[in-house]
Amino acid sequence: MDITKQRRIQEHPILGSYEKGRVVHFTLDGKDMEGYEGEPIAAALKASGVMTHRYTAKHHKPRGVFCAIGRCTDCVMIVDGIPNTRTCITPLKEGMAVQAQYGVQTKEEWEASQEAKDGE
Amino acid sequence: MSKIIRTAAKEPFKPEPDDDLIICRCEEVTKGEIRRAVHGGFRTTNEVKRWLRCGMGLCQGQTCQRNFQNIIAKEAGISVKDLGMISGRSPARPVMIDVFANEVIDAEKDPEGK
Amino acid sequence: MIGAGPAGLSAAVEAAEAGMRVAVFDENAGPGGQLFKQIHKFFGSRDQNAMIRGFQIGRNLLARAEAAGVEVFLNAPVMGIYKNHEVLVKIEDESVHFKGDNIIIAAGAAEVMVPFCGWDLPGVMGAGAAQTLMNRHGVLPGRKVLLVGSGNVGLIVGLQLLQAGCELVAVLDAAPRVGGYGVHAAKIARTGVPFLTSTTILEAKGDGKVEKAVIRKVDSRFQVIPGTERELDVDTILMAVGLSPMTQLASCAGCDVEYSDQTGRLSCITVTDEFCETTVAGIYCCGDFRMETAEGASSAILQGQIAASHIAEQAGYITGEECGARIAKCQETLRQMSGGMFSVKNKGRVDPTETDEGYPISRSLLERGYIAEEELQNYPAASYEAEGVHPVIECVQNIPCNPCRDMCARKCILVNGDITNIPLVDQTKKCVGCGLCVANCPGQSIFLIDKTSIPDYAAVSIPYEFLPLPEEGQKGTGLDRSGAPVCDALVMSVKTSPAMDKTAVLTMKVPLKYADSVRFFKAEGGAE
Repeated sequence: MDITKQRRIQEHPILGSYEKGRVVHFTLDGKDMEGYEGEPIAAALKASGVMTHRYTAKHHKPRGVFCAIGRCTDCVMIVDGIPNTRTCITPLKEGMAVQAQYGVQTKEEWEASQEAKDGE
Repeated sequence: MSKIIRTAAKEPFKPEPDDDLIICRCEEVTKGEIRRAVHGGFRTTNEVKRWLRCGMGLCQGQTCQRNFQNIIAKEAGISVKDLGMISGRSPARPVMIDVFANEVIDAEKDPEGK
Repeated sequence: MIGAGPAGLSAAVEAAEAGMRVAVFDENAGPGGQLFKQIHKFFGSRDQNAMIRGFQIGRNLLARAEAAGVEVFLNAPVMGIYKNHEVLVKIEDESVHFKGDNIIIAAGAAEVMVPFCGWDLPGVMGAGAAQTLMNRHGVLPGRKVLLVGSGNVGLIVGLQLLQAGCELVAVLDAAPRVGGYGVHAAKIARTGVPFLTSTTILEAKGDGKVEKAVIRKVDSRFQVIPGTERELDVDTILMAVGLSPMTQLASCAGCDVEYSDQTGRLSCITVTDEFCETTVAGIYCCGDFRMETAEGASSAILQGQIAASHIAEQAGYITGEECGARIAKCQETLRQMSGGMFSVKNKGRVDPTETDEGYPISRSLLERGYIAEEELQNYPAASYEAEGVHPVIECVQNIPCNPCRDMCARKCILVNGDITNIPLVDQTKKCVGCGLCVANCPGQSIFLIDKTSIPDYAAVSIPYEFLPLPEEGQKGTGLDRSGAPVCDALVMSVKTSPAMDKTAVLTMKVPLKYADSVRFFKAEGGAE
């Protein structure tokens, strides 16, 4: 999503404007995204209206940001190939590949494992 | 911690309407599973944790410990004070195993690396 | 030092200034812990950071830490504490072992969450999470928000949601009364946000994310009242139910961790003595990590100073006398700040009937979040009549705060004796209408009223912390303490100044008979 259309606070009565890094591009499940360099990945996703960060391993339920300070680990995603990355405290960088996490797998891996299960 | 008597309940387990409620978010352990564990004779925080993995996930029980302790206490009719706490162990924060294994002893203070 | 928040940094500064070598580890990319998301003016006394916004306290602490030569390792989570004060820290791709003569754990707390059906849906978050998103990162946590919990954290976040531009649908509390300071609640109530006490959340509903919240009433024994279910359209549900310390590291280090009712309700704490030392010699803990207190950051800073002073004395860096004096000063401030109606000793008091001064308690403030007009007469500083402009102080609970007294150059405002006493107005002193008390009251509970300067009209000055800032001559509606529209209002002036620190003082003209009713301004056709 174009950064100017995101759910961001333009001017705050107490904080004024926010000090932000340069605009960077990253991908979410292959889709182009925009955010500010150095802000947590989770903040960039929230600003773009992304709610679901992962699906749980047992019940396949969606989960998103919950504590936003790295404590609850609910917002973990696969970032540049590394699963269980806490997106709320991981700074965004140009070109990052962010993927929703299914259990601890990528969607493709998860789907393949489901098919394998069904085949049994 | 007072003495805890461990016996499985004699009467059958009574399901409750909110037994499906997720208590441990990381390991997806439900209220019903915890109640069943207590019904089956588990009593302390660590016993239930080891049996069901609640409090054993990525967040290490930070969100759920209190909540699953309350369920144990209510089910067993004892105080949360008597359940003991989750044993804190390293690593307290999520870390990649290759980083965890890549140990560096503080060379300056302990030159021989003891 | 584990944690570079208020407790860790203040301890580090204290120890470094005493000449000790200090290393601070923090898992975050920046120091300050949760202080930088605190944007409200702090309560307390002026020598204890009152009136200063949390992030500014953070900046001041950082500057002091830098000057004292404190080394802060960032992106450095502590993974474990072992025997002989050995600490394992992740630094880049290595696990590095450090040893300290003393360790202070100030790793903070996590939010307490009460499970309910659908609490794992994306869109249900901690109130602190919303605070982080909007105040640290400038990102809206949601559009239509339901806040569960009316303690101080909830109330502070509630106002901040409004400041960020969210719609706050309601503030819920299972208890029959608002949990936090009445002045915090009143700031939200007068914008029109309803407080629903004796109400709990039953369910979060939605397809893959929160779309609705189902709430219901409970009786005084927290038993559900059947048939009271109600659905609210919200996209975000925030939980502000309390904080619980991150005790894993203390437990890992072998310190006793247990449940205690020391804080007024059963919560998990690390056992410490009066110097914040745990049951393992040389390991200390302070701040929210030690236990939850009403004024988290302020008391964390003091606890950090106590722990560091004690360590410095034990290690021979300061004399016993010096240490004793420092600790006594911190403990006296802590004692004062923990007094009053919301103190630990009063927390169990379900039904307080009068203030320390003997004034009746405002029931409306406890139940609805604002003072009822007919209750005002119970409080001298809220109900006296005077010629010309004069302060009206609607601060009617015993809370530890007194900067109003120090802000008035004319000495119109008195807080006699304990810091928790309710402010009084000295009517022999003449108010000049500077508005500094209005802007700097952390509770935003002081108003300037002038009923005699304009025939048939009154000038009402209110604190205002929203955007867009109304302009002189702008027309709008005067709202009462509950946020209900009362009458037309015309903006006479909007004062801002560095001494007011982002709180504008808006003066509006309202018909004289509404002078005691109007406490908020809503611009015509303007956004909320």
